[in-house]
Amino acid sequence: MSLLRTEGLQKHFGGISAVDDCSIAVEPGEILGLIGPNGSGKTSLLNILSGFLAPDAGSVWLGDEAVTGMTPVQLANRGLLRMFQMTRVFTRISAVDNMLTAGLARGLSEAEAERRCETLLDELTLSQVRYLDAGALSGGQKKLLEFGMCFIAPPKIALLDEPFAAVHPVMREAMAGFIRRRHGEGQTFILVSHDMPIIVDLCPRSVCMNAGRVIAQGATRTVLESPAVIEAYLGSSVGSSAHV
Amino acid sequence: MLALDLLVNGLIFGLFYALMAVGLAMIFGVLKVVNFAHGEFYMIGSYAYVLIALKLGIPPWLALPLAALTGGALGWLVERLLMRPLYAGHGSWSSSKDEYAVVVTFGLSLLLVNLVDKIVGPYPFRGPVLIETSRFSIGPVMLNGQKLIAAGVSLCLLIGLALFIKRSLWGRQIQAVAQNRLGASLAGIDATRTTSMVFVISGMMAALAGALLAPLINPGPDVGAFPAIKSYVIVVLGGMGSIWGGMAAALILGVCESFFAVYVSYAYRDAFGLMLLILVLLVRPQGMFGEKGREL
Amino acid sequence: MSAAMVNAAGNLWVNRLRRDFRASLLLLALLSLAPLFVTTPYSLGILIISIYFALLALGWNLLAGFTGQFSLAPAAFAMLGAYTTALLDYHLQAPLAIGIPAAIVSCAVLGWLLGKVVLRLKGPYLSLTTLSFAEIARVVIGNSIEFTRGDQGLNVPTLFESRVGYYYLFLGVLLATLVGLYLLMKSRTGRFWLAIRDDATGAESRGIAVVRYKTLAFALSCAICGLAGSLYGTFSQLVSPELGLLMQTGLIIAMVVIGGMGTLTGPIVGALLVYLTSEWLRDFGNIQMIVFSAAVILFARFLRTGLWGLASGRYRSKAGSAKP
Repeated sequence: MSLLRTEGLQKHFGGISAVDDCSIAVEPGEILGLIGPNGSGKTSLLNILSGFLAPDAGSVWLGDEAVTGMTPVQLANRGLLRMFQMTRVFTRISAVDNMLTAGLARGLSEAEAERRCETLLDELTLSQVRYLDAGALSGGQKKLLEFGMCFIAPPKIALLDEPFAAVHPVMREAMAGFIRRRHGEGQTFILVSHDMPIIVDLCPRSVCMNAGRVIAQGATRTVLESPAVIEAYLGSSVGSSAHV
Repeated sequence: MLALDLLVNGLIFGLFYALMAVGLAMIFGVLKVVNFAHGEFYMIGSYAYVLIALKLGIPPWLALPLAALTGGALGWLVERLLMRPLYAGHGSWSSSKDEYAVVVTFGLSLLLVNLVDKIVGPYPFRGPVLIETSRFSIGPVMLNGQKLIAAGVSLCLLIGLALFIKRSLWGRQIQAVAQNRLGASLAGIDATRTTSMVFVISGMMAALAGALLAPLINPGPDVGAFPAIKSYVIVVLGGMGSIWGGMAAALILGVCESFFAVYVSYAYRDAFGLMLLILVLLVRPQGMFGEKGREL
Repeated sequence: MSAAMVNAAGNLWVNRLRRDFRASLLLLALLSLAPLFVTTPYSLGILIISIYFALLALGWNLLAGFTGQFSLAPAAFAMLGAYTTALLDYHLQAPLAIGIPAAIVSCAVLGWLLGKVVLRLKGPYLSLTTLSFAEIARVVIGNSIEFTRGDQGLNVPTLFESRVGYYYLFLGVLLATLVGLYLLMKSRTGRFWLAIRDDATGAESRGIAVVRYKTLAFALSCAICGLAGSLYGTFSQLVSPELGLLMQTGLIIAMVVIGGMGTLTGPIVGALLVYLTSEWLRDFGNIQMIVFSAAVILFARFLRTGLWGLASGRYRSKAGSAKP
């Protein structure tokens, strides 16, 4: 059975349909890439999946439970965690306290949270800055810290919104490595990114959206080569651009 | 024909409210914070008018623009000294600018009230009228000259401000900064100067409201509290930061209040607007005329 | 030392909180000696009122400093607490043993309801709604003349005549509140409050039940203010709508901002400092409110961590993080 699937999701903002008849499925243990041009509805879909937006129609299933319209808190308690494009760390407490709080929120005991915090800080190369207020960390360090907060109690499925955007290449490699290792342990992801080489590298399977609709899904290579996807990225004038 | 009298007087008060609230809405527009010292702009305006006219013996018609200048200068100072951290990259409050704005403007409100109380004295003044008339009636509507003149001046000011914001280059810059400060700066608009200008205009408008009403209300140091609360109600009703919504809401509130005071309860007339505010925030946090913004 | 502090384990929340708690206990220990040196009833009364403000400051700080909910209604809840006790006595001749707990409960319930009302509101909207609530409460109490005697106020019986007794009662309540807050802030509840303060959406996405913890903070904070108001009423033996003036809220904010928001010691230091100096400044011609409102603006502008931040060296970390 799919770990997470949607059926016919719809979301309109005024006259614009941000998500239109969207049906996708994520299998246990896979990294599903979610791509599409700007404004194609990726983030709206992620907002619906994580409970920050209620869909106008359609349903979301986590395993065999219907979770449509649940709040972010209910979904987080069911193991669906989400990382934001703009980092959301707790700025006025230390990095360690950020991770402890995230662990306690997921129901870990204080001792267990502390233990896992230590290992994760090392893995994420944040040990040097562990006692700094999270607000004083660099942008990349904040993203790494979010990884730590997300994985201190491993979720059933993690939704990552543009984790590599505006991040130093070295740090990007550290993040990709982190995702690969978690994937090796059987962790399931949805990964939204504009960074095609990383999508090709990490995600065997991808979904491409445009104007709120799923225009292609399947093996990432095939998706990227499909005419509909090329057209979506380069504009519909590709075919007729010869005379321009 | 009591109703007509109530309607006209309500609309007149609505005009005064609008003069107050429009500045508050503009400040919210460009900085996304509430100026809790807005009532004190009003208070300073009415004191400036009264003192300039009475102590310096300057004719009231000249004292009026001087009061506006005082309010504008105060607005400029407040922006220059206290509001810069909200947008000029002072990191320490950047993660919590709402807190900073509440603390600083609330503190400023207390400071100005107590300064005036100390320097000028706690006793209310009676302001000189712009025009000497006794009460007269037009049909069923009872009016007095000062009220009518003040309403006329307010109407002209509001129309002038509306044209300024809609038509002039500076007005359009204000609109641009309110919509998107960063975008406006990238397009070459001096957002800092625009913010200063908004505070100057807000200070002037509130001060003029205070000056125009000075002969009717006998200003004391705490005279700004109620007009300020009315203008909070109005900006919320009108959609925070919406200038047109604010003007419409001001007129509606003025009329509703004058009917409420007569037909429902005089004692609770000042609570009416506040109850309305809580109701509106619960049902439509974006206000009656505001657009719903999306989060995230 | 300070720059090192934020880079070291001293900056962990448990350690910060423990340092803070110890300092506040020390302060209370010093306060408990005060009646040995302060003997006139008048001076003792001033100390009692400053402890009343310390309670209000701690209550407001729980909402504003720990949970990030900038309520403008703390003085209104002190007034409501005082009136609960006074009205129970005036209409039903209820003893204080019922009247004081009733004040705590009624303020907790009202605070919880207000918390529900403002749940979806942020920043300026929340401040405006709580301000409206405070003003409505005051206008209603001031105008319901048949029920509350309006601006005349109500008489309240006293618990006992001894001023020293009252002093230790207030001090005991302050100690209990402090210990309760310390235990809460140490637990996961406290950590979740801090998370909500720093980023409510982020907290939600991590699975923190923001709704429940916000309303809990509202209920507790308002209960503390209600208790303080109720006790103050029995001490002064008169309650009036003036307890709920916005000016009083301004004073409370001044105390917390000057002492240090988001700490335990800060609000107490701020309350003592502001109230005691204001008594002293009265001799210089009532300039106390000018001094404190100016001080609040200066602290907010240049020293946002307040005096406790200055003392514990945390202000440097802010300055450090200010650089892009």
